[in-house]
Amino acid sequence: MLVPVFTLKLNHKINPHMVTVGKYDGMHPCLTAATQAGKVFIHNPHTRGQRLSSSRITQSTQDSDISLLNINQAVSCLASGVFNPSHEHHSLLVGTQTDLLAYDVHNNSDVFYREVADGANAIVLGQLGGISPPLAIIGGNCALQGFDHEGNDLFWTVTGDNVRSLCLCDFTGDGNNELLVGSEDYDIRVFKEDEMMAEMTETETVTSLCHMHGSRFGYALANGTVGVYDRTARYWRIKSKNQAMSIHAFDLNSDGVCELITGWSNGKIDARSDRTGEVIFKDNFTSSVAGVVEGDYRMDGQIQLICTSVEGEVRGYLPASKEMKGNLMDASVEQDLIRELSNRKQNLLLELRNYQENSKAGTGSKKKEKEGQMGVIPANTQLQTALSVNAGSENQKPSVDLTISTSNDTIIRAVLIFAEGIFEGESHVVHPSAQKLSGCIRVPIIPPKDVPVDLHIKAFVGGKSSTQFHVFELTRQLPRFSMYALCTQGSAPKPRGKATFSINDRLQRVVMWLNQNFLLPEDIEVPDVCFTSLRGAGQLCIKIEQSGEITVNTDDMDLAGDVIQSLSSFLAIEDLSVDADFPDYFEEVRNTLVQVDEYHSVHQRLTAEMADHSNLIRNMLVQAEDARLMGDMKTMKKRYIELFDLNRDLVNGYKIRSNNHAELLNCLRAVNQAIQRAGRLQGGQKSCIDKALV
Amino acid sequence: MEINLNRVDYLQVAVADQDGVITCFGMKKGEPVPVFKSLPGPKISRLELGGALGTPKEKIFVAAGSEVRGFTKKGKQFLTFEANLAESIKAMYVSGADLFVCASYIYNHYCDCKDQDYYLSGDKICDIVCLPMTKLGQTTPVLACQDRVLRVLQGSELVYDIEVPGPPAVLEINNAKEGEIEDELLYGTTDGKLGLVQVTDTSPVYKWEVTNQKKRGGILCIDRFDITGDGVKEILVGRDDGTVEIYSLDSTNEPVIRFEHVLSESVTSIQGGCVGKDAFDEVLTATYTGWVTGLTSEPQQKEAGPGEEMKMSPETQNKIVALRTELEQLQVKVLQEREKYQQSAQSSTAISSVPVFSVNDKFTLCRDDASYSLTLEVQTAIDNVLLQSDVPIDLLDVDKNSAVVSFSGCDSEPNGNFLLATYRCQANTTRLELKVRSIEGQYGILQAYITPRLQPKTCQVRQHQIKPLSLHQRTHASEEHRPMNTLTLTGQFSFAEIHSWVVFCLPEVPEKTPAGDDVTFYFQNTFLDTQLQCTYSKGEGIFKSDNISTISILKDVLSKEATKRKINLNISYDVNEESVNHTLKLIHPKLEYQLILAKKVQLIDALKELQVHEGNVDFLIPEYRSILEEADHLLEEYKKQPAHLERLYGMITDLFIDKFKFKGTNVKTKVPLLLEVLDNYDSDSLIAFFDSA
Repeated sequence: MLVPVFTLKLNHKINPHMVTVGKYDGMHPCLTAATQAGKVFIHNPHTRGQRLSSSRITQSTQDSDISLLNINQAVSCLASGVFNPSHEHHSLLVGTQTDLLAYDVHNNSDVFYREVADGANAIVLGQLGGISPPLAIIGGNCALQGFDHEGNDLFWTVTGDNVRSLCLCDFTGDGNNELLVGSEDYDIRVFKEDEMMAEMTETETVTSLCHMHGSRFGYALANGTVGVYDRTARYWRIKSKNQAMSIHAFDLNSDGVCELITGWSNGKIDARSDRTGEVIFKDNFTSSVAGVVEGDYRMDGQIQLICTSVEGEVRGYLPASKEMKGNLMDASVEQDLIRELSNRKQNLLLELRNYQENSKAGTGSKKKEKEGQMGVIPANTQLQTALSVNAGSENQKPSVDLTISTSNDTIIRAVLIFAEGIFEGESHVVHPSAQKLSGCIRVPIIPPKDVPVDLHIKAFVGGKSSTQFHVFELTRQLPRFSMYALCTQGSAPKPRGKATFSINDRLQRVVMWLNQNFLLPEDIEVPDVCFTSLRGAGQLCIKIEQSGEITVNTDDMDLAGDVIQSLSSFLAIEDLSVDADFPDYFEEVRNTLVQVDEYHSVHQRLTAEMADHSNLIRNMLVQAEDARLMGDMKTMKKRYIELFDLNRDLVNGYKIRSNNHAELLNCLRAVNQAIQRAGRLQGGQKSCIDKALV
Repeated sequence: MEINLNRVDYLQVAVADQDGVITCFGMKKGEPVPVFKSLPGPKISRLELGGALGTPKEKIFVAAGSEVRGFTKKGKQFLTFEANLAESIKAMYVSGADLFVCASYIYNHYCDCKDQDYYLSGDKICDIVCLPMTKLGQTTPVLACQDRVLRVLQGSELVYDIEVPGPPAVLEINNAKEGEIEDELLYGTTDGKLGLVQVTDTSPVYKWEVTNQKKRGGILCIDRFDITGDGVKEILVGRDDGTVEIYSLDSTNEPVIRFEHVLSESVTSIQGGCVGKDAFDEVLTATYTGWVTGLTSEPQQKEAGPGEEMKMSPETQNKIVALRTELEQLQVKVLQEREKYQQSAQSSTAISSVPVFSVNDKFTLCRDDASYSLTLEVQTAIDNVLLQSDVPIDLLDVDKNSAVVSFSGCDSEPNGNFLLATYRCQANTTRLELKVRSIEGQYGILQAYITPRLQPKTCQVRQHQIKPLSLHQRTHASEEHRPMNTLTLTGQFSFAEIHSWVVFCLPEVPEKTPAGDDVTFYFQNTFLDTQLQCTYSKGEGIFKSDNISTISILKDVLSKEATKRKINLNISYDVNEESVNHTLKLIHPKLEYQLILAKKVQLIDALKELQVHEGNVDFLIPEYRSILEEADHLLEEYKKQPAHLERLYGMITDLFIDKFKFKGTNVKTKVPLLLEVLDNYDSDSLIAFFDSA
């Protein structure tokens, strides 16, 4: 059993995800974490009583080991590490929703301070690609920015949605780090400098990413999923009802390979093997885990795993010694083995009993009355499923319909569909009322995104009065573009936006792609089709000439991008050049840009107004105080009333300012997404982003 | 002194009680060796040891169906006795030549297989023991009945009732020291309470009671055994959430917990003894899936030297090898059978029927937070559970439960579903615990579809009624001098009919129509502590409660039920104006406590921030300082009662609407006003609002 080598109670709350360990003087590791009220605390137990106090850092009066750093704004991310390559001491990087501060704790000075309009939701410090100085890369509102230690903006690119997690990892194995970005649109994207290399779609917001070793990395999602990828292939994943707050790679059992350490929202810490996901160690905190980091916190040359909870409890674990043989849990192996084998035996025995009883029942030796209860069904009962597109009607939303029916007069009591990313939770249930039981159930499905989804269907089949049902389990795949209904051409004007490109592949292959990725009533042969989007996004027409030229007509640039990406990966095209014209969309983007300019000018005007006001306040306060000292109560009262009015104006001004700012952020996000979309229009691996657009 | 016990798993008895097989095993060189095994038969409900008085108890008696069988310790059957009961035997006790058996409501005493005494109980009998009252020359049977009483009998007559705080599930004679007069009884209740009561000739003497503060499961088995070796027997307790506890008595004869261990399944039986090795006593438990596990006082040494493989004792290695080969054989067999089963799918005449698997489920009201807890237990791992309800209920999170829950949208219009939730269980989960919060007045059925990980896959549905007055609990008597509202029903209905309506409305009422011409039941609302008294007989029913909402719900439901059966009811009611204020006063302390708690909890974060900022708390007023000091406790308290305030608000709103409903006015439009008053809560202004509106 592995026990903590040290435990600390810090008496400060710790914000989740915002914990780091830095050697600010180059020697002594300090646990640093963001706490309430826009403060960052630095725990330095090693150099007691040698610290200076200055404007930014204040000594905590409660605890002599802790110094507090005032940021005066809610901290959103925190990182530390070697920033200036010519020094060996670490710098502290603090990101907020509006700016980034690089701070030298040892010398008590700012390294730089930059405003970042897109905010900083996540931060990572390290070497990226061929850029030689270490970069502080921050991920914000659809944008990624990298700064060197002088505050130079050396890296900039955009991504599909708000960035929630970042990590550096040598994804390609070429010796240079690539940037992994997890975002709110459920995607993990891999950037080789500013070029997107790969994209993995997950089932929820990606909240954490961490590098394991080589090209392997761990990830955590907002719905409680934790897993490990090796490049684009997922090794394993598990899902818990709790949320993973922090993940970290650490070799806890000293076998030379890092385990994935996960800190959960219920206070549990577990270490899982990177290959199988098997739990090799677990421990519990009384409150949610805030962060998991590592460092030589006892200064004895051994790296400890340091786990922190939101209530400020810190525990350090040393990797297990060789003697423990990787057996970190408090249980005897043989007991567990025997138990597991016995359980398996019991399971097999019960299964055997099921078959025996079944054959007995088949010979008719059972009483008739029991049959109703047991849910006896003919042995040749089959379950049929069909997917079709339902264009919807007035009182029904358009959807994809999954029809499940039995082959005889048995009924379906309920249907459970487990699928990720298309329902509110992970499952969808259809349970007809007792009067409406039948052998056929229609399940409308409205996938919110164009992704292929596996539907794991469980249907409870039996008789009307049964209390026990047979469970039929099957899996159907929902094609990527299932929310598009085939329609006849010419019924509506063709969309104005279009993308054209040509391929060298056989026509049949494209037809095959169409049949696989759309829900068609019957297989088509002519590669000239028109669809209506069930999400109300107009029409989509795909036309293929004999020459191999393909035209995609739609007003939705996203959709066009999806179609091209899907087709090019199906045909394994490395590089595809596309001519695109989306007049409506470009018009929209132009408008957005105009809006951005407007918001900017409003912003400036408001700032100027505020500055004016603050001058006025100063004057009025002096006047009011003068009046008070002179004993002129009437004037004083008047001044204070004016002051009060001014204050109200200021508050109102602030409200307008914050609304304006929110609008501005939305617009900037739209612009960033537009760039991303334009990038996606190009097929294959290579996608170069046209920065000139902005 | 702390007791250190280690866990030893002995063997898994394949579904013993379900198949009706008795397995007797002994230990030889640390290995369990079966002594005998009986033939499969009907499900065994009880097993007792007996023998002639004064000799060691070494005869085995089992009850299966309505039959009692006796075996010697070698496995020879020496007795088969048909008790001639209509129902199967639920409880049994053997003492010398006397045999005591109980079906659901009936108690029977046989001496040398000859019928002696008979008693019909008012509610279901859960357990029976007999106190050997040697001075009377007659044993005294005590029945543990579902309606929260222990019934002390003499012959066929009831001597007196012992009221206990919960539905008793198990009784055990308290023989702390050898040779003492055995006139004390230990009881364990389904809501997890443990108590000791002395049975005298005329009345009970209550000794002590251990309340269930840690919210453990219900008690399923008790034994007394001296595990510490100090000459006094400790109390061993097994609960349905897998907890094993050992209590000992301190110098003032109060019980103190000494040891606790949690197994993953419900503990169906517990015994102290010496099994594994001589000279080392242990606590032996049997769990629901058939595991026999020992908690031994023998120290277990672990041998693992550096650079070596984990050492396994040769015995365990042999055991594992044997298990492995057995498994392989089984696997081959199962594969064959599976193929056969799949082939049968080709034939058009064959049928597919999978035997009903056994589900151990319990749906009980927890008094502390006025919510229901649903526990489901299956003998193999559960794959998933689907919960469906046709009434609005809230599902609460349970820490112990690791299953991933997912709520599915309810298209409540066409199919009448208000809750559809799936629980996908982690591997090896055999037991699932859920918490459900109901609203009084909204009634219907909660269904759980349980699918275990067993081929061929089947699922079983279990139904649980959510009754109209779901938050009421049976009590023994009502407090006098409360202002009561009365609802009187008269009409052409039989005693059985009105009883069935009461069963429909209220929990914990026996399904069987009580003997006699009339009956009175007392209930208490677990959330508000208001009371309800039901007295009814043929043609008349009187319901009294100090809560007008309770009366309103009863009136609605009863008239609906009567209309269903086309029975004409005369409903008259007598509303006591004072009762509303009385109920408000009952609510007041709870509401005030919750409001203050919520306010304090809200302040904690801000105060902590100030503390960090200023470095100390000296500048704060004492009130705030005390909040900071109690912060952890307050947060814990707040977490314990989620949505408590909302529920109280809901009940006050109901009270308001119901008060005026009886006056014939609809005040739904005034509800927003009421909520406004509640937002700035003050007891007097609320009462004033109730009076003025």
